[in-house]
Amino acid sequence: MGSNHAKDPFTGTRSLIDKDHPLYKEYFRKGTVAVIGGGSFGTTLANLVAENCSDVRMWVREEEQARNINATRTTKYIPGIPLNPKVHAYSGPERIFEGGVTAVIWALPAKVCREQAKALAKNFRGDEIVLHSTKGIEDGTLKTPCMILREELPCARVGVISGPNLADEISKGQPAATVVASKFDEVIRAGQILLTSKTFRIYGSNDVVGVEWAGTLKNIFAIAAGTLDALNLGWNSRSMLMTRGLAEMVRFGAAMGGDVSTFLGLAGVGDLFATCSSNLSRNYRVGIKLAQGQKVEQIVAELGSTAEGVRTARIVAQFAKKKGISMPITDGVVAMLDGSASAQDALRELMTRPPMFEEGIPD
Amino acid sequence: MQPSDFHEFGKSHPIIRFEKVPTGDGAILRLDQVRQRIQADVVRQTLISLQGQSPDNLLGEALYSERARLRREKPTIFTRGRYNRDRAIWSEIQAGLLKPVALVDRNQLVRKVLKHYVEEITGRFSQRVYNFTTNAIPFGMNYLLNAATVNHLVPWKLNQSLQSRLQILGEIPHLQRLSQKGTVLMVPTHQSNIDSILIGYIIYLMQLPPFAYGAGLNLFSNPVLSFFMGNLGAYTVDRKKNNAIYKETLKNYSTRMLREGIHSIFFPGGGRSRSGAIETKVKLGLLGTGLEAMRLNLKENVEKPNIYVVPLVMSYHFVLEASSLIEDYLLEAGKGRYLLHGDPSNQFSKVLNFFWQVFSANNGITVRVGKPMDIFGNFVDEDGRSIGPNGTTIDPKRWLMTRGEFHADPQRDHEYTRELGSKIVERFHRENTAMTSHLVAFAFFETLRSNYPDADLFKFLRISLAQRSIPYDNFLRSAEIYHQKLMKLADQGKIFVSDWLMTTDTKKWVEDGIKNLGIFHGNAVLRVNDGEIYTEDMNLLYYYRNRLAGYGLESR
Repeated sequence: MGSNHAKDPFTGTRSLIDKDHPLYKEYFRKGTVAVIGGGSFGTTLANLVAENCSDVRMWVREEEQARNINATRTTKYIPGIPLNPKVHAYSGPERIFEGGVTAVIWALPAKVCREQAKALAKNFRGDEIVLHSTKGIEDGTLKTPCMILREELPCARVGVISGPNLADEISKGQPAATVVASKFDEVIRAGQILLTSKTFRIYGSNDVVGVEWAGTLKNIFAIAAGTLDALNLGWNSRSMLMTRGLAEMVRFGAAMGGDVSTFLGLAGVGDLFATCSSNLSRNYRVGIKLAQGQKVEQIVAELGSTAEGVRTARIVAQFAKKKGISMPITDGVVAMLDGSASAQDALRELMTRPPMFEEGIPD
Repeated sequence: MQPSDFHEFGKSHPIIRFEKVPTGDGAILRLDQVRQRIQADVVRQTLISLQGQSPDNLLGEALYSERARLRREKPTIFTRGRYNRDRAIWSEIQAGLLKPVALVDRNQLVRKVLKHYVEEITGRFSQRVYNFTTNAIPFGMNYLLNAATVNHLVPWKLNQSLQSRLQILGEIPHLQRLSQKGTVLMVPTHQSNIDSILIGYIIYLMQLPPFAYGAGLNLFSNPVLSFFMGNLGAYTVDRKKNNAIYKETLKNYSTRMLREGIHSIFFPGGGRSRSGAIETKVKLGLLGTGLEAMRLNLKENVEKPNIYVVPLVMSYHFVLEASSLIEDYLLEAGKGRYLLHGDPSNQFSKVLNFFWQVFSANNGITVRVGKPMDIFGNFVDEDGRSIGPNGTTIDPKRWLMTRGEFHADPQRDHEYTRELGSKIVERFHRENTAMTSHLVAFAFFETLRSNYPDADLFKFLRISLAQRSIPYDNFLRSAEIYHQKLMKLADQGKIFVSDWLMTTDTKKWVEDGIKNLGIFHGNAVLRVNDGEIYTEDMNLLYYYRNRLAGYGLESR
């Protein structure tokens, strides 16, 4: 059985185009897509998908919120951007799945991932393509969203969307690219058909674990980047942070079973650059406010939407310590979040570590 | 044989204590009537699956590897007929390939090769032979089970002795029910050539209809075995033929048998475990035919489309071929530091001897029928429904749907089969029954090893006889620790332990273990003398120790 696509002998890249492709396209173009979660990225994805299918149903928790979205055709998460006419919001899961959907875009925060999957499981038939954009992991088990969805939903074909994708920019139609990763090429194909637009490119990958962890880990360093920028320490320090942060990401990601090369791609370094450089990123904003001496509870409350990095940093630092994986920047971020160190303290601690070799990337 | 006869027999057998579930007669009873049709279908299907590949290349590759194989092979008086037929067909193919395409149709040549292979692979099923053996085997088995233990010959102890020889545990009624609801694909661990015979007997004891199974072609070189196996639903698998045409034919044959509703057995590890450890990797080629059969069943809307995968884990105190297997393993792992001897399991007298010996040892064999799964590795309930990890009901039909239909998608199906493979490996480890001999071997090996922290495995395996002993009291203390760790694993559901290990009396289980460990090998695997415990055969010790590898018991 041919498991992999043919590699182009000249460029070394893999192509997903096969003779089945037109039929796939037609199937998804005619189908209905459910988007679970009406946050900023959920809405952005709903708008993107609407271009490539016949109907998009967006699930939100509150009935009133749904009515609001349908009436105003906008949402508070991405102000000023109108919803595609094909997108409709509902709060009842039965209505979302009525008549069957071809694909489900799962855009919920990590901490409610399992709970909602359990609640919605009975609505799934089993042949839906499930793509999630959740960046974060489960506390305690360290399970990634794909693992959680496989456990809770009656579906096998799940995948992840992750990359340098700041919701506001994509909504404005500025060019961007992302990675869709799944063990099943079918899922990658579906993601490409549903999400591709003139300004949005999809790259495929089979390294699900690597892509999920890359998207999760980079949030920690976005917090650190925000802090560093608030202290106004210049480009060298920013570059130092991102490079050494990447080293921590690779070390941890490889320990969890990801491919090193994934971390050098869009979902790894790509996402890290975007999140650490843009003040649009929520985690970055958390970092800035931490440097200003605000308490983390207050910051999160003011932000109004989830900053996954806060949760992730603590979980990762704890696990890394147990497994003996060196993550000094992560430890610094956790110290700031816990209030046990100020931004200056954390930085001093990092700069005065004993000198060492720059490690190579582990195999 | 009528189902009621199974029933009667089961009642008289104290080894089997389970709820009686009617299992009916299997589709294999029809095999002889549908044989011709199956063969024709396999040829046709294989031609389709080979489409798109150049026949010249396919034939060229097959011709090359078959010629090489025939040069290496030395035919015996029993295999000469087959050998000559092989030579004849390949000479014909060679001659055909030398002529221009206009004169000789390449597709005709491929068809010829396919027919030849299908004829070789196909098993038959003879009701007469089956009746004869099912009557003879229990008689023989009973004879062996009883006669081998003189002290248990007294009638009132008979039942007890039978139970202690061969234990069949696990999900037996579940398996019986599923055999009525769909087609069963049994996947056993594989340690010994005895496995095939033993499984046949176990299936009979469980009152299931006979299963089809692939047996190595070398086993068919014995005319007596060949006659019985050939008429009991065995088909031949020749691992020496590694060309694409043969592999595709074999896969299609297996798919076709499953589609006929014939319960089948695959040894997913490929061959016997060389190291003695439970399989950590499985071969996906043949396993994938289960999925393909189910997909085609669904596509053609047959009545009972489901294929159920049932793991079976067999645990022995003693494996007849242990020495040659472990040497084979070390040869591979140690890059040519070991010499290989003959394989005793191919000698018929040795096989009989094995049964005699196994049944005369206490607690000879434990067999556990694992939790049944669907073709994706999800557990199935009593009604054959697939259940997800957290209790969601899964519709397996939907998992094979793409664009709303049952299309083939090789990449998807390969991934499903890979998932099933790793699930089987996990179940093998969890359904394994640790026996006293395994734990004694493990504890002794690890304790001794900790005395030589600097030696690598190969150096360690060659330490001198004088270096291979530990004071017995020290060993008992160490064994107790390993026992505690094992019991903890058992509590967590990661392994089963035999009744003999359900004790806190370390001395008692250790003695039982030492007594039974590889009891009929020439060298004593473990021996206690003058307050010292030592081994005469490091390789065998390593072999039996490996049965508990992969559970994280090593770290102290």
